[in-house]
Amino acid sequence: MTRVHEVIAFDSVGFRYPDDTAWLVEDLSFSIQAGERVVMTGPSGCGKSTILYLINRLYPENCDGELKGHITIFGRHALEYAPGEVNHRVATVFQDPDSQFCMRTVEEELAFTLENLRTPRSEMDGKIADVLRLTELTEFRDAVIQQLSGGEKQRIALACALIMEPEILLLDEPLSHLDPLSARSFVCLLDRLQQERGFTVVAIEHRLDLWGRFFNRELELQGQPQLSGIKKRTPSIRKESALRVEKLCTSTFLQQASFTLQKGEVAVLAGQNGSGKSTMLKALAGLVPAKGTVAPKTLGYVPQSPEFLFVSKTVEEEIAYGGGQKSREIMEAMQLEQVAGSHPFAVSHGQKRRVAIAAMLNDGRDVILMDEPTSGQDAVSLQELSRLIDERAREGTAFLIVTHDMEFAYAIADRILLMKDGSLTGAFQADDVWREPKLLEAHRLLAPKGAMEYEASFA
Amino acid sequence: MLAKWKLKEVVLMALFSVVFGIVYLLFLHVGNIWAGFIGPIAYEWIFGIWFIVSIICMYIIRKPGAAVISETIAAAIEVLLGNAVGPRLILSGLIQGLGAEAAFAATGYKRFTLPVLMLAGVGSSIFSFAYGYLLGGFSVFHPGYVMLMLGIRIASGALIAGVGGKFVVDGLLATGSLRGYPIARAVKGDARA
Amino acid sequence: MKQALHKMNPSVKFLIITVCMLTLAFFFNPWTPLICWGGVILLQLCFSTIDWKKWLLFMIPFLIMSFGYFWTTIVFAEDRTGAVVWSVFQYDITRTQLDHALSLSFRVLAFAGLSLLFAFTTDPTKFILSLMQQLKLSPKIAYSILVGYQFLPVMKEEFVHIQQAHRLRGAVRDRNAIVRLWNVRRLLLPMLAGAVRKAERSAFAMEARGFTGEKRVEFYQVVRVGKNDVVMSALFIFILAAGCAITLK
Ligand SMILES: Nc1ncnc2c1ncn2[C@@H]1O[C@H](COP(=O)(O)OP(=O)(O)OP(=O)(O)O)[C@@H](O)[C@H]1O
Ligand SMILES: Nc1ncnc2c1ncn2[C@@H]1O[C@H](COP(=O)(O)OP(=O)(O)OP(=O)(O)O)[C@@H](O)[C@H]1O
Ligand SMILES: [Mg+2]
Ligand SMILES: [Mg+2]
Repeated sequence: MTRVHEVIAFDSVGFRYPDDTAWLVEDLSFSIQAGERVVMTGPSGCGKSTILYLINRLYPENCDGELKGHITIFGRHALEYAPGEVNHRVATVFQDPDSQFCMRTVEEELAFTLENLRTPRSEMDGKIADVLRLTELTEFRDAVIQQLSGGEKQRIALACALIMEPEILLLDEPLSHLDPLSARSFVCLLDRLQQERGFTVVAIEHRLDLWGRFFNRELELQGQPQLSGIKKRTPSIRKESALRVEKLCTSTFLQQASFTLQKGEVAVLAGQNGSGKSTMLKALAGLVPAKGTVAPKTLGYVPQSPEFLFVSKTVEEEIAYGGGQKSREIMEAMQLEQVAGSHPFAVSHGQKRRVAIAAMLNDGRDVILMDEPTSGQDAVSLQELSRLIDERAREGTAFLIVTHDMEFAYAIADRILLMKDGSLTGAFQADDVWREPKLLEAHRLLAPKGAMEYEASFA
Repeated sequence: MLAKWKLKEVVLMALFSVVFGIVYLLFLHVGNIWAGFIGPIAYEWIFGIWFIVSIICMYIIRKPGAAVISETIAAAIEVLLGNAVGPRLILSGLIQGLGAEAAFAATGYKRFTLPVLMLAGVGSSIFSFAYGYLLGGFSVFHPGYVMLMLGIRIASGALIAGVGGKFVVDGLLATGSLRGYPIARAVKGDARA
Repeated sequence: MKQALHKMNPSVKFLIITVCMLTLAFFFNPWTPLICWGGVILLQLCFSTIDWKKWLLFMIPFLIMSFGYFWTTIVFAEDRTGAVVWSVFQYDITRTQLDHALSLSFRVLAFAGLSLLFAFTTDPTKFILSLMQQLKLSPKIAYSILVGYQFLPVMKEEFVHIQQAHRLRGAVRDRNAIVRLWNVRRLLLPMLAGAVRKAERSAFAMEARGFTGEKRVEFYQVVRVGKNDVVMSALFIFILAAGCAITLK
């Protein structure tokens, strides 16, 4: 029999950020045993990521926050560890793929980790090769991290965590930027490794369906309403065209692409990680140099990293910046009113994304491009998001949305554009795509449950 | 010296040093070309620019060493980017940083008001001038000319580095990105008091 | 052979160049710096593969500066003794004046030559690693500088990004170029603010990867000191000695 022992224990812990008056977390107690697989859930902004930061000891020291109660990690009081010390045994994959690396290339990042662990030099090379093979990232060994796609970064982050051979692995929404098949193989890999090595997994996740039966315990931080999933919307396409794209291409990656969007149309752009979706949107929005014609020129754009957009000092100002009239209403729909006065950079990741979306929806553009608006959103936000998109589409706005969430795509899309290796492989009527497993497979997508039920009802 | 520093403070300091290393380099070129026409006195007007990083870092981080280390790194970055005065410049950086550091040390690292920041700029001016006097061979110039150079440099240090540095940091503080650094804590403390 | 200067250990190179410069500072005559300047150029010709066009471009400001030193020293010189060697516009230039002026301007050139040699033949990352490995620079500072240094290319992008963000959010671009330039000031603070946030995140990432800042013994990329360094240092010293010796006669 293996002896069970406690690796993490929270004893009536409270935490608040320096400028806040209310406690974000109060009187929280739980404990996690070695080898457990725990998932932490709760609505966006309830403090999940903050708790993770308390476990890996980045907080409270690094943010001047106030901490009550006791946190014990490996039987020792968390505050007794020197900065970085506990991180030899606790590895973290952060929520934002953009902000978790410190070195230039993948190899350097991995080597840096090994140096910190005082791994003998002779073993380093082998270990790096091993972990890259394990995560199927060998081709990225010399890649410059800055230049990878969102999903690629997220996979690299896992490799960096695994190379530490940690006793506790903390994962903050690790699937949020992965294409469906990558997400699935991620879960399989984790499952296998956990069985082999027996480390403890603590993950944060909004949607558990991709995880299957991976977790043995759920830690619900705050109850949230049970929703029945998003209702499939009815098309609202009009005759007039809203966006015309001809022979758009970039010098490095994007192959020539042409398509049009009608007014009131909602199109989803899907494809595997690194297939060029973000590059396409950036090219459309005029953020990267590109050849070809795009008409009209000014488009609304919600980037994959929401922070890119922020120009104001409070969430409220940010949303109102473009001069839209519906700030209040949109802010409420996006559950942002409780952080209206916060700095846009000092809210949770999901909230940041919603601020960016709200700002763009409020700006009243005719065409809105959204890069993964669904990643890291809770059920309520997703529902509101699809409601807002539907509402806008009925008013005539055209949407081009990049998402890895096939359920969401199934619910809102009129048309699906597929991408692979930098080129647009086709535009399909949404309902046709789901019936073609080969096509989906080739783009590393999975048919949504909704579509399968729909099919079944006709069988 | 760095034992009490948080890692994020060290990284912030290094980053500012890098950023201002570039700024310094740009001004060095401007200065060089200008000096070609009106002589070494051309530098004196803008000399304060080269002290600004030490004052900015100290004003934010408020720990012993912030001024001298940041200034030295900035100088090293200038050298790395090439075309600076060479490795010798690191020594100049060190000395300029020491000048600013001396002013802060004199107040026991407790006060960071405008006069103190200006004093730090003056400190850098004096230290760097003494060093330049020895190395640059200013002794060949007429004493009156040398005094003029010193005067201008002190004014430049106090105004550009002292006042300018405060201006930059206060602007930065208002953007809210300095939360979690000693300066933000101090401001909050003031508000409560 | 052609790579010898590039292959030199950066710390050794750094030290030897510093020694050269400090020594030069004690020799106040036109010949020592001139010889060193020539020697340095010769060294680079033989032992490096630098881009000479770029080198020349970088040398130009120093040439101008050196000229500035030349004429101001003549005009503002204190010591006006010695025989008159030259007369311009009824202004007499004496032997001492000319000597001083030439000494100062050649010194500028010699310093510039040495520093360009260092900058053009040294890989910044290797230099910082070597400072940590040979000169015991604290890893906390060394890695922080490395992290900061990686931001350099990113800073440029950041500048473009902020402009783009403002444009995306509906800020209109002014037609007038001067107004536009003046508006750039509004981008500078956000840029610094962005840098601050990046710094903070990198620090978090470093800590999360188990970085404690203590001295380390194992390095992935080892920078060594070898025979090449001894030979090259000897060459530097030889040039320096030659320059100094000429004044002794
Ligand atoms: N750096 C910060 N400074 C001040 N307040 C913050 C900061 N980061 C987060 N907050 C606030 O704390 C709350 C919880 O944030 P946290 O990131 O822990 O949420 P979360 O549960 O992870 O949400 P999400 O699912 O959206 O990632 C948010 O309401 C946010 O406004
Ligand atoms: N700035 C850049 N410089 C060079 N290459 C880049 C840059 N950004 C992305 N790439 C490369 O272009 C390819 C497409 O990247 P892109 O971000 O468009 O992918 P994506 O489809 O959005 O993927 P994901 O779903 O993971 O976000 C990737 O292989 C990436 O490595
Ligand atoms: Mg979170
Ligand atoms: Mg993307």
